[in-house]
Order: sequence, then C-alpha cells, then structure tokens
Amino acid sequence: MPLKSRGQMKRFLFGLQLHFIDERPNNSAIIMRILLIEDEQKVSALLKRGLTSERYAVDVAADGIEGLELAETYPYDLMILDLMVPRLTGGEVLQRVRRKNAFLPVLVLTARDLIDDKVRLFELGADDYLTKPFAFAELLMRVKALLRRGPVNRSSTLRVGELELDRLTQQVKRGGRRIELTAKEYALLEYFMQNEERVLSRNMIIEHVWDQSFDGITNIVDVYVRHLRSKVDDGSTFKMIRTVRGTGYTIRSGNET
Amino acid sequence: MRLNSLRTRVTTFYVGMLAIALFVFSLAVYFGVKAFLTRALERKLSNNAHSIVNDYLVPLDQKGDVWFADEITESYPPGYSDPFVRVSQGSKILYQTGDMRDPFVNMSEIRLPSNPEWFEKFHRETASGQRIVLFTLPYYAPNGSVIFVETGTTTEPIRHVLRSLLLILLLATPLILISAAIGGYFLMSRPLRPVVVLTEQAERVGRKELGERLPVIPTGDELERLSLALNRMIERLEAALDHNHRFSADASHELRTPLTIIRGELESLIEMPSLPLPVIEGIGSALEESSRMAKIVSSLMAISRLDCGGEQIELVPVDLVEIVRVTLEQMGLLAEEKHISLRFEPGEATYVAGDPMRLKQIVVNLVDNAIKYTPVGGDVSVSVTTENMKAVLQVSDTGIGIPPAALPRVFDRFYRADGARSRESGGTGLGLSIVKAICSAHGGVASVESIEGKGTIFRVELPVLQQSVPLETVKVTPIYSK
Repeated sequence: MPLKSRGQMKRFLFGLQLHFIDERPNNSAIIMRILLIEDEQKVSALLKRGLTSERYAVDVAADGIEGLELAETYPYDLMILDLMVPRLTGGEVLQRVRRKNAFLPVLVLTARDLIDDKVRLFELGADDYLTKPFAFAELLMRVKALLRRGPVNRSSTLRVGELELDRLTQQVKRGGRRIELTAKEYALLEYFMQNEERVLSRNMIIEHVWDQSFDGITNIVDVYVRHLRSKVDDGSTFKMIRTVRGTGYTIRSGNET
Repeated sequence: MRLNSLRTRVTTFYVGMLAIALFVFSLAVYFGVKAFLTRALERKLSNNAHSIVNDYLVPLDQKGDVWFADEITESYPPGYSDPFVRVSQGSKILYQTGDMRDPFVNMSEIRLPSNPEWFEKFHRETASGQRIVLFTLPYYAPNGSVIFVETGTTTEPIRHVLRSLLLILLLATPLILISAAIGGYFLMSRPLRPVVVLTEQAERVGRKELGERLPVIPTGDELERLSLALNRMIERLEAALDHNHRFSADASHELRTPLTIIRGELESLIEMPSLPLPVIEGIGSALEESSRMAKIVSSLMAISRLDCGGEQIELVPVDLVEIVRVTLEQMGLLAEEKHISLRFEPGEATYVAGDPMRLKQIVVNLVDNAIKYTPVGGDVSVSVTTENMKAVLQVSDTGIGIPPAALPRVFDRFYRADGARSRESGGTGLGLSIVKAICSAHGGVASVESIEGKGTIFRVELPVLQQSVPLETVKVTPIYSK
C-alpha cells in the first residue's frame, strides 16, 4: 500500500492502533522474539531491559551487517531498526530484509525527522516509525500493535472499571451515571480507555486526539485532561485519570486495588 | 514586449542613433543640393552675360546696331526666356527677350539696373509673384557709355526640386526608422535567445533541484562566461545547502541520542518501587525538561529545514477559513479556561496553495500565543479576508501587548518579549519563528502590530490560489527569506 502523504500515513497508523486492545502477555503465551539493531549501546541496553521486563526475548545487533545476519538466521517476530547504524544504513538493511521476508514487522527508530525519509521508509517496507527521543511507553505500544496485527477487536463498548463508553451511541457512563462530554473530551477518553493502565505521553495524546500541528503547545493536553477528569472523577472517591509526573497520563480501573 | 528589457533598450538606443544620423544626413543632402543647384544656375547666368558682352557688345562699335540686333536675336530669340536676357543703356532697352512664360513673369516689372551694388553680382528680386535671380554685368563702352547686360531666371525649378527632396526625406526617414526598429528588435532576439534560455533554466534550477546545471552556451563570448559563472555559483550554493542539511541531520542525531538515553534512564528510575516523593518529583521534573528539550530540537530542525529549503512541501488547495474553523474548535477549551472569548466569523472560502498541516500550525501557534498573553476575560478574534490577491489571516487580542522596542524581534528564535514569564508555561520560544518560517516557505509574509497594554495583531499574508497555476510539489528554497 503506497502511502503518499503524511496525513494518509497517520490515518493508516492510528486506524490500526485504534483496534488493538491490550492483551498483556501471560506466562502461557509463546515468547515473542525481537531483533533490535541499534549502535548506541546505552539506548540498546535501555530498550533491551525494558522489553525483556515485558517478557520479550531481545537480540541486539550493533551494526547493519550483524543485524542482517541475525535477521536472516533466526525467525524473529519483530525488528526494531535504528536508521543510522554503521556498516549498512538502516534503509539498506530494511531493503535487504524485505527481499527475503515480506512479513516481518519492522519498527524504525530515527533521530532525524525528515519527511522525505519517512515516506521513503514506508515505501521500503517499514511498518511504523518512532522519532527519538520517545517515551518507552510509546515504543511498547507500537511494538504491541505491530505484533498483534491481524485479530481486530471491534467491540462497540469499552469498559474500564465502572466506566463504560459506547462507541455506537457515543455515550459515557460511570457507575450508571451519564457523563456529557464534548467531541474532543470523548476522543480523549476513548483513547485513554483503549489503553487502560498504560501511560500515555502528551505527545502520543496530541498526535492521536489532535494532530501534529499542535506539537508546540503541550498545555492543551493538560487543559483538556483537567476538564475530562473533573467530569469523570468529580464526586467519586476513586480517581481514575491519573497524572504520571514527567511522562503523561493514564487511566486506571481501580479493580485491583 | 517589456519596456525595460535589454532587447527593447538596445533597439531603442540604436534606432535613436540612426535617427540622429539620418537627420544630419538629410540636412547635408538638402543644403548640399540647394547650394549645388544655385551655383549651377548662377554660373549659367554669369556665363551668358559674359558671352553677350564679349560676343555682341565688344564688336558693337565696329559692326553696328543692326548686326547686334540680328546676332543677339538669333542667339537669344525673344521667346527664349530661360534665362531671360536684357540689354539696356540708361533707361533705354537695347534688347530683351520676351516675358517669361513658365512661370509667367512680366519683364516690365523687373527694375532696370540702378544700384551699383548689383554690378557683377547676383541679386534677387520678386516680380509677378516669382522670385528671380539676376546677374547684372555693366559694359563700359569705349565711347564712355555704360551698357548693362542682365541675365536672370526664376528660382522656381530649384525650389521645386528642393521641395520634392524635402518631401522624400521627411517620408523616408520615419519609414527607415520604423523598419530599422522592427528589424532590429527581431534581430536582437537571436543573440538574446541564449540569455532567455539561460534565464528559464536558472529559474527552473532555482525552483526545483540544485542538482541540475545550466546548459553552457559554447559561443566563446560573454554568454558562455555568464553560464559558466552561474554554474559555479549554483555549485557553491549546492555545497552550502548540502553542508547545511548534513549539519542539520548530524546535529539532530547528536542531540537526540543523548536525549533518548536521558529519557530512558529517568523512566526506568521513576518506576522503581517505593521511591521517596522528592526523588519522584525530581525525576519527573527532569523528564519534563527532557521533553521540552526534545521539542526545542525538533522545532529548531523544522525551522532550519524550512529556512534553507531542504524540505518538500506538498502544495494542495487549502481553504484557510475551514482550517481556522476546525483549529479553533480544537482549541476552544484553552480560551474557555481563561474566560477569553475566542471569536471567528467564517466568511467565504479562501483558498491558498499549501501544506494543510503547516498552515494549521500557523493558526495554532498564533492563537495559542494570543491566548497565552491575554489576561482572563479578554478577547481574541481571528479573521480571514482577501486583499489584492492575498489571503490575510489576522489574529488580534486584547492582551498585554508588546513593547515597541521588542516588536522587530518577536519572530526571532528564542526571543521572549517578557523575559522569564513565558518560560514558565512550558513554551519553546520558537512558536513565532515557526510561523514565520512556514509563512516564507509558502511565499507569504508574517507581520505584527501592537500597542503595549492594549493588544496585539498578528497578520499573515499568503498568495491566494489562482486556478490557472498548476500545483506541484516544490522544494521550497527561500534562501533569502530573512
């Protein structure tokens, strides 16, 4: 699918994300193998640590050739590829991997944000990209989205604890009490509820609920979340929408506590 | 045909020179012919007079009056009048040819010679309405008497010739000039053709890829040198831009990699169980700052790419009114929070050619800025109008305003009119610079007016989309946009 414009690309990406409902990996699941090609040792160590703690098996390659050899030797479920790696550029690695394996999901990390590059990457066969620096939560979310391509949850009702969101009627209830929301607040809450218990960074929220032209003004997220929170949490003892200092926001069901 | 083109100027110059030359030439011809004809006439008159004296008056004493009358009548019959001849002694006319016929001149109207100044000279008279030139030759006979021989003729034939000549010159000169102008104008197109081609190529290279080079005109003349010089200039420009791109990419990479690590380390730290609250606060604050720094890096890179023209901008028809409407809807709560009335009256659709995302960013940044600097209860209003083929977006507020001294610098990177105040609100100090860069990349202008304490008006002018102009993705190269 050739993606011509950024808009198209974004719709494509978020259209996909929209349908992935969190299914945490459990012990009985097969362990997913991830190949990480990243030359910055500290970055790869961080990612490996984070992904391993999420029960993924991670192999790290520090340059393009090594990465390519690993990719051709073992059956990976996902490849995370830094664009600027020595010996072979990320683009070349991607191209060569795609020649042999058309189905391996590839998440590209880039420290540049040249639009041309991104469009070219999609043409070369990248499935998603992430610009450095990123919140680990965001990386994890994209990894999960890429690994779950296929089964799509189209359920019309989202539930988080006593909070219920009906996608058909666009009605929201908490413990049976109707909550009136504006269009933006609804979109915001829907995004939170799709990602229950997951920390959403301001950037993720802006890109999803607004668009990247709002990049410069992160306080818009704070204002809207504050309003949403007052509608959802006021009058209840358990506060569902939480601020995670320095990172963003998350929604919690409160069932486990 | 443009009035100030080189072709027109050269043609005008050389037609002007030709006009002066033709004028001088005409004068020379006219007066030359006039002098020549007059002299020829005068020589004829003088010759005739002298031959009459020599042939008929000198032998008069020996041969007698009858012989004289016979001889002169034979040589100058009475009907002969070009020139006429009159021989007189005192008031007595010895012989004269008859009245002149073509044109008619009554001989009796011509005064007999009386003025000694006329003797052996030419003088002019008017008789029967005709100008006549006369030669008077006195003959001092041996018996002491004086006999005057006069020869004369009208100057009409000369004047006729001169009139015709003048007419020819007057008609011919402008005809020559006009044909020279037309011919010269088209002739000039030949040597200028390579210049036109060169110009078109240079425009194309400037607009799209710098990778291309101009065709070298192998004429060995100034034009070849010009094309070579232009190519060398493009080469240097390309090298500079390449350098800029590489620097930009490298800087971006070098800045972002440590940011990624800082962020990752802090994130994994903050997830450690049972951290004391001050530690969580500290790490959180560091995380927020690393986010802001990341934002500054990406904004700086965006501006630098827009400024040096390294970025493809996808041009599509965009309705500014619709963009503003949608954007304001998405930002409504920001104004509501501060009880600011955010006004926009959508008028007629106003199309410009641009990248919708970036144009939207202009609106977002300007409106956010206006809300930020307007106190609780104020007004922010947005308008989109069309003025002289320009789409004008205006964002005005009743905010704190900008001091006059700061006005010229508000679009500068990292400039903050109010010092520390806006840094608290988490801005990057690059919002207006981005507005300006996007504006320039779209061929527009951003400007600001403000009265301190009263409010500020930001104004963005973009060229209105003309249906006839084909849209294409252009590599924006506003190299001199500053």
